[in-house]
Amino acid sequence: MNKSENMASSAQGRQLRTMDIVNRGLARRYRAERRFKRFGLSAILLSLAFLAVLFISIFANGYTAFQQTFIQLEVFLDPLKIDKEDLGSANYQGLVRESLAKTFPAVKNRADKRKLYGMVSSGASFDLRKFVQKNRHEIGNTIRIWVPADDDVDMLIKGHILRDVPESERRMDDTQIAWVDHFQHQLRIKQEFNMTFFTGGDSREPELAGIWGAVCGSLYTLLVTLCLSFPIGVATAIYLEEFAPTNRWTDVVEVNINNLAAVPSIVFGLLGLAVFLNFFGLPRSAPLVGGLVLTLMTLPTIIIAGRASLKSVPPSIREAALGIGASKTQMVAHHVLPLAMPGMLTGTIIGMAQALGETAPLLMIGMVAFIVDIPGGFTDPATVLPVQIFLWADSPERAFLEKTSAAIMVLLLFLVIMNGLAVVLRKKFERRW
Amino acid sequence: MKKVLIAVFALTLGVVFGLGTGIGFASSSRDYISIVGSSTVYPFATVVAEKFGKITAFKTPKIESTGSGGGHKLFGSGVGVQYPDITNSSRRIKKSELEKAMANGVKEIVEVKIGYDGIVIANSKKGPSFQLTRKDLFLALAKNVPTGDEAGKLTPNPYKTWKEVNALLPDVKIEVLGPPPTSGTRDAFVELAMEGGADEIDWIKALAKTDKKAYQALCQTIREDGAYIEAGENDNLIVQKLSANPAALGIFGFSYLDQNTDKIQGSLVDGVSPTFEAIADGSYPVSRPLYFYVKKVHVQTIPGMKEFLAEFTSEKAWGEEGYLTDKGLIPMPEAERKLFKENVATLKPLSLGDL
Amino acid sequence: MRLLKVSKMQTVMDKGGNGGPPMPLKKMRKELVPRKERATIGQFEVENPRMSCRNVDVYYNHGEKKAINNINLDIGRNEVIAMIGPSGCGKSTFLRCLNRMNDTIDGCRVTGTITIDNKNIYGKDVDVVPLRAQVGMVFQKPNPFPKSIYDNIAYGPKIHGLVQNRDETDGLVEQSLRRAGLWKEVKDRLDQPGTGLSGGQQQRLCIARTIAVNPEVILMDEPCSALDPIATAIIEDLIDELKQDYAIAIVTHSMQQASRVSQRTAYFHLGDLIEVGPTDQIFLNPLHQLTEDYITGRFG
Ligand SMILES: Nc1ncnc2c1ncn2[C@@H]1O[C@H](COP(=O)(O)OP(=O)(O)O)[C@@H](O)[C@H]1O
Ligand SMILES: [Mg+2]
Repeated sequence: MNKSENMASSAQGRQLRTMDIVNRGLARRYRAERRFKRFGLSAILLSLAFLAVLFISIFANGYTAFQQTFIQLEVFLDPLKIDKEDLGSANYQGLVRESLAKTFPAVKNRADKRKLYGMVSSGASFDLRKFVQKNRHEIGNTIRIWVPADDDVDMLIKGHILRDVPESERRMDDTQIAWVDHFQHQLRIKQEFNMTFFTGGDSREPELAGIWGAVCGSLYTLLVTLCLSFPIGVATAIYLEEFAPTNRWTDVVEVNINNLAAVPSIVFGLLGLAVFLNFFGLPRSAPLVGGLVLTLMTLPTIIIAGRASLKSVPPSIREAALGIGASKTQMVAHHVLPLAMPGMLTGTIIGMAQALGETAPLLMIGMVAFIVDIPGGFTDPATVLPVQIFLWADSPERAFLEKTSAAIMVLLLFLVIMNGLAVVLRKKFERRW
Repeated sequence: MKKVLIAVFALTLGVVFGLGTGIGFASSSRDYISIVGSSTVYPFATVVAEKFGKITAFKTPKIESTGSGGGHKLFGSGVGVQYPDITNSSRRIKKSELEKAMANGVKEIVEVKIGYDGIVIANSKKGPSFQLTRKDLFLALAKNVPTGDEAGKLTPNPYKTWKEVNALLPDVKIEVLGPPPTSGTRDAFVELAMEGGADEIDWIKALAKTDKKAYQALCQTIREDGAYIEAGENDNLIVQKLSANPAALGIFGFSYLDQNTDKIQGSLVDGVSPTFEAIADGSYPVSRPLYFYVKKVHVQTIPGMKEFLAEFTSEKAWGEEGYLTDKGLIPMPEAERKLFKENVATLKPLSLGDL
Repeated sequence: MRLLKVSKMQTVMDKGGNGGPPMPLKKMRKELVPRKERATIGQFEVENPRMSCRNVDVYYNHGEKKAINNINLDIGRNEVIAMIGPSGCGKSTFLRCLNRMNDTIDGCRVTGTITIDNKNIYGKDVDVVPLRAQVGMVFQKPNPFPKSIYDNIAYGPKIHGLVQNRDETDGLVEQSLRRAGLWKEVKDRLDQPGTGLSGGQQQRLCIARTIAVNPEVILMDEPCSALDPIATAIIEDLIDELKQDYAIAIVTHSMQQASRVSQRTAYFHLGDLIEVGPTDQIFLNPLHQLTEDYITGRFG
């Protein structure tokens, strides 16, 4: 009786204790879980906040670059000054200046005249020339034409030059501001979408500078990179993963590929300089060479991603294929590769995105350069988007600040598109097994 | 999937083919001018190149910003389309560079001085204005400075504030943002400001004659205890940092001061303010000449070279009211402009003896 | 648990000892081959074998580990031979020797001779591709290709060039699915992924895929271990039917299954083939102590 009671109570005691222990631990476990969740959440929030700050500051600095200030000029197309046989060679700059001088006849002194002529962009004369070449019947008439304003005027209109600071501390003095006000009063100043920014090449005049040249350069470069690194990378990954024997040599190769992935990109630039330029004699500053160098840089990424995705293909699929008599090549081509493709494509696109943002290796092969003409092929001198950003960021003119931010926006847009593409491709080709 | 793969492989073939033509390119010609060199001259050369590209039928020259030293190295590597035609330089070509170029077959090089660049020492308008001397700069920034009157005695730079350097200066911590040693601006600053300042101390000036190495080490070594902050090659960045930190001074090219007069002020050096006029007439002491160098044989072979040189040396470009002055170039006196224009017209080559 | 079993056995033996007709179990027990004896007991040879293995050793990890040891075994025509034994005793390893699937494992080496119709499959001039078409394999985990049901079946015949046109392929797909007893269930959704079928259906799809290339031998490595009893029963019926045309070697963990489907049974233990003989005899009158231990559930 006593004994059995004891036993019962001790059994109960043990049971209670277990429960107690579990319960006590439970609270702690949940606490740890909540803590971990909070850490994770705050980490994400923090990085999102940084991202937001980055985007907002870039956007705030850059959105004005998509607008451009134009001034309307009244130009007398003097038939005496324009040779109808040779429309291109007339002194259009003179005509533009004449028009400005007529608008402000009071300006006499040389220094002031210089300032006055500086109100419109030096690109104005080219716009005028284009107009005349298109409308030769207008010769002899007085025409009204919108031309881009000088970057200082643009900055004033956009509020980057403040009117209320003392004159001596302003980029534009009171007379210049008065001229701008005069134009504004006559409704001869307008802001319009800045088409030049998307269609033009680089320029030292902020109001004429565009990113199309850099975009083309980036496209050519990346096309070369893609067309070389994807097939080579995929073939290498397949060979190493599926065919190569595991011996010391393949170990060495593997270690080296992993090392290459970590090599600073400038080293690839030096390699490119030594091999492609000095040894093969390829042209400097060419997207072809840029693409080759970036291929060297992205190959390890693609190979590593490719091998990882080949590894992740379940062995049962390989056995199934081999088991009914597929050869190794058939097994890889028909079954393994299609399953590994999404991962490989993702790796490739990530590699491409990396390549798109790269400047350091391009420095060595001459792609960090001032290039005005839009590249038309793989051997034309070209620069790329991040280099364009770097060059603009380094320019003294204030107006390049907003161009820099705008170019960063364009670059980010490309990156977002590429990463989005990676997701879409993955979704499209992904299969369950 | 298959189609995508086939397309990619076709493109690969295309690229390989392109490589072939690219290699073929090496032996063929180049129809644009290739320019390398100093990042200080870059803003000026690019303006000329752009104008030239627009008003002539030639392609716009390609300009790489490689730094003066890098430019000379590329330029002096040889003759042929794969080598640049022109190199910009924010200092005169060194004898060793010229010798190397000649050894590589670049026998005839035309030297063209294009104007001057002032190096300004500036700070935020919110801060006090500085009236510096070159000696102040030397004492504030050298790694080792002479103390007392005893000749030859050096101690690690003890100065913490400008007032300690010179009682007339404000009582502000010494904090200078400047370019790294790879920059031409740094070379020029060290040579013009620091050496100039050091020369005001007699025994150091004498040292220049007896022990050139020790002299240079003394004048050209900038302190590394945090008072001088290497702010990278990007002068815009220095300007931005100056507005954020009114106590700091910055060292950069005149055009950046010119563009940012609303935010920053240039310090007087030896009583002269860094204005356009003062640099042009040579009264501002920290200014340097800017050059470019042309391969004579390329003038015949590369289309547009003659015209480009003519544009660069025209009055409307480098003259007193030329468009380069708008970009901050300080023009040469008229006589000097005439001399170099003539050199360009006759393509007078530089000889080792000239250096 | 074990105690219980032994005592039960004890009762059986006691019964035998109490006079009456001698129980076969008891009689055998006296003559059982001791545990430490490792030479194969029983008739491992058959007349006119389809496949025949002699002195087969398999090493893994570049010879570091010997997985099976001196196996001699014949596989007859139109018979089902079951291979049983505790986990890790080398059944799968041996099975995979028969169509050289071990070749795909790095560092695996097979010695000895294995012949199919008197031709050494490890000979220098032998191509594994036709060999594997001749000796098909069904795996433990159903592993259909992540393709449509139709493509799963058609793939093998296509790569081997067994079919010339769409009609032939259609016919072969239907025939294979019918023989695997899957046709009725999937005939309306041949274009849907094979991975969308249930486990039992998937395994039958894999069998259909194997028989579509019309092999001579089918190797099955625990084909029912992941299936429920109903699916298992269907597949067992299928095996029974298939033995009309094929020699089948099946690895199984279920002794009931072995006794239901096989004519001969081979018992493996730690890499050795301990005993082989007619299935009835192995289960009722094992000759080796280890075999008896295993089938009476003393371990395994
Ligand atoms: N790929 C392999 N590499 C190394 N050892 C292996 C490999 N596959 C099987 N083995 C070993 O060989 C022995 C036999 O394995 P296996 O044939 O799979 O046994 P089972 O009879 O359970 O099918 C086991 O000890 C196992 O650990
Ligand atoms: Mg097994």
